[in-house]
Amino acid sequence: MNKTLTRKYLYDARWLWLSCAAILYAFCWLRVWIVSRFDMSRFQKVLEQFEHLERFFPIPLEELTTYTGRIAITFDEPLVVTSIIIWAIARGSDCVSGELGRGTLELLLAQPISRIRIFWTHASMTILGIAGLVLMAWLGTCTGIAICEVTEKTPATMELPLLDMEIPNPLAKPQEVVRPMSELTSSWYFLPAITNLFCLGFFIAGLSCLMSSWDRYRWRTIGIVVGIYLVQMVFYIAGLASEQLSWLLHFTFFNAYEPALFVNILIRSPEQLWELARFTAEGHYERPGPLGSHLLLLILGSCCFLWATLVFQRRDLPAPI
Amino acid sequence: MTTPLVTTENLTKQFRSRNGRGQDQYFKALNDCSLQVQQGEIFGLLGPNGAGKTTLLRLLLGFLKPTSGRAQIDQKDCSTQSIEVRQRVAYLPGDVRLFRNMNGHRFLEFMSQLRQNTHRERCRQLADELKLDLSRRVSNMSTGMKQKLALVGSLATDAPLIILDEPTSNLDPTIRQKILEIALQLQATGKTMIFSSHVLSEVEAISNRVAILRAGQLVHTQPMSELKQRHRIQARLAGPLPELPIQFQEAVSIEQRPEQRVLIEVSGDFACLLDWLSQANLSDMEISPVGLSTVYEQFHANTNLSTLEAS
Repeated sequence: MNKTLTRKYLYDARWLWLSCAAILYAFCWLRVWIVSRFDMSRFQKVLEQFEHLERFFPIPLEELTTYTGRIAITFDEPLVVTSIIIWAIARGSDCVSGELGRGTLELLLAQPISRIRIFWTHASMTILGIAGLVLMAWLGTCTGIAICEVTEKTPATMELPLLDMEIPNPLAKPQEVVRPMSELTSSWYFLPAITNLFCLGFFIAGLSCLMSSWDRYRWRTIGIVVGIYLVQMVFYIAGLASEQLSWLLHFTFFNAYEPALFVNILIRSPEQLWELARFTAEGHYERPGPLGSHLLLLILGSCCFLWATLVFQRRDLPAPI
Repeated sequence: MTTPLVTTENLTKQFRSRNGRGQDQYFKALNDCSLQVQQGEIFGLLGPNGAGKTTLLRLLLGFLKPTSGRAQIDQKDCSTQSIEVRQRVAYLPGDVRLFRNMNGHRFLEFMSQLRQNTHRERCRQLADELKLDLSRRVSNMSTGMKQKLALVGSLATDAPLIILDEPTSNLDPTIRQKILEIALQLQATGKTMIFSSHVLSEVEAISNRVAILRAGQLVHTQPMSELKQRHRIQARLAGPLPELPIQFQEAVSIEQRPEQRVLIEVSGDFACLLDWLSQANLSDMEISPVGLSTVYEQFHANTNLSTLEAS
């Protein structure tokens, strides 16, 4: 029975998943290729001009001159986040209010299947879909890193006879050295980023399922979740923009979504990856740590899924409109 | 006496809604409904829109939680043992909505995988009987075809109870007749059926008993066998009526109407009354069996029966 339902939900969602997967794979690959085209070390001076805007950047500005830092920003790109969010909201909202709106939930529940089974089969497919999409984003990055090459200009050198030494030769043209991207960074560095992306998708899917479980109109469910998402984004931007409003950061889940920063932490100080919370130099709580961020999103998402199960289990099912 | 297959005891469902001023309002869609459906019976449910028929059926299937009272099917509680109940019930919703991306074959296969007691061969046989093209996608089917497909899915199961909510709506007269025949065949195999409809003639044709609902209340239960033994005589009085013999007084009711008209209702054997009728000063006499519409009219006097039949 589960297999039948699973097959149905997979079949229903196949085009959306394939579209999102193709976008994520291609974009992440393309992003690595774009990164490989520019040698940002030459723009270091330019970047320094933006120091006062550093708080709006997901990673310290000096990290933008590294290949790993720039590839890590891919996971902050709106296209990547939007693809995951679209999947999570579309499938999460379909869970109850979608089936109710189409009138097919009545048909399913007229069979000897429990509400919990219907809900969790649908929710599991949604979660599995997120995991698959995140994997596609990572595979796109891996492909880019494996295939792309970087052309670096290095000062020409000259060999000193007898001393067996090389010294820069300012009179000669700089040399162009082609190096594979895999020598400059590693796909494994981006695991904290994709974990964080999965956790964000999990939370949004849970929220969508919760809203769906007590609603009867899918359009309204989508509207509510998108509304919450936008309000949270406004909180985040306002919190970053002004010191007086920085307290808003404690009330937005975007504060727990810092994929590029976690990649940076993995490279600079990997032991901090397991921190639950980060503190200021004065010892005051600042924000969730990498592990704390993942857990926060997972716990919030799990609470939403459990709450949704309870709501769906107890509610009356209205007749189709 | 056998245990009834379906029992409801004081079953009540109250809904809450908000009025224009944001205040909560409550209304009872079903109020204190107690009934029993015996095994092997076809039980008709009648009532105008909003009478509570679909609410009663949705309570039986566990889609709605009762506000008070309880319902049982095969001694399983419809609210707390919903899965066990649905194993014993095949249901056709009043407003059929199917999975649009499946074709007829795929839909029936899907349903048979969800419900172990659905017979694929029986599905094919029923589809042939109803002249249904199973290769067509649901999204390309007409409303009537969808109704037939859902009917095939519901009627091809081994479930001992079949609940049909307005099964013949959207169907042409030939197929309607076919459905009624299939219902009677299923009854002959020992199945029980709850048949909700607006079409009195259909309910009358196949039901063993009929329940009439009005504004959420069960107002009358009518065994059809009793109804078939009742007759009504409408006539104009040309003079005074002779006194009714004492042995008929319990079985006969007489109602004087305006313009010298009289209505006489007879329960039981009608032949014994013929002598008395011949002595009465009656003209323009019309004798007809008391149909379900007469009983229905007693409880829904303001409901336009022709509209009901048409629907």
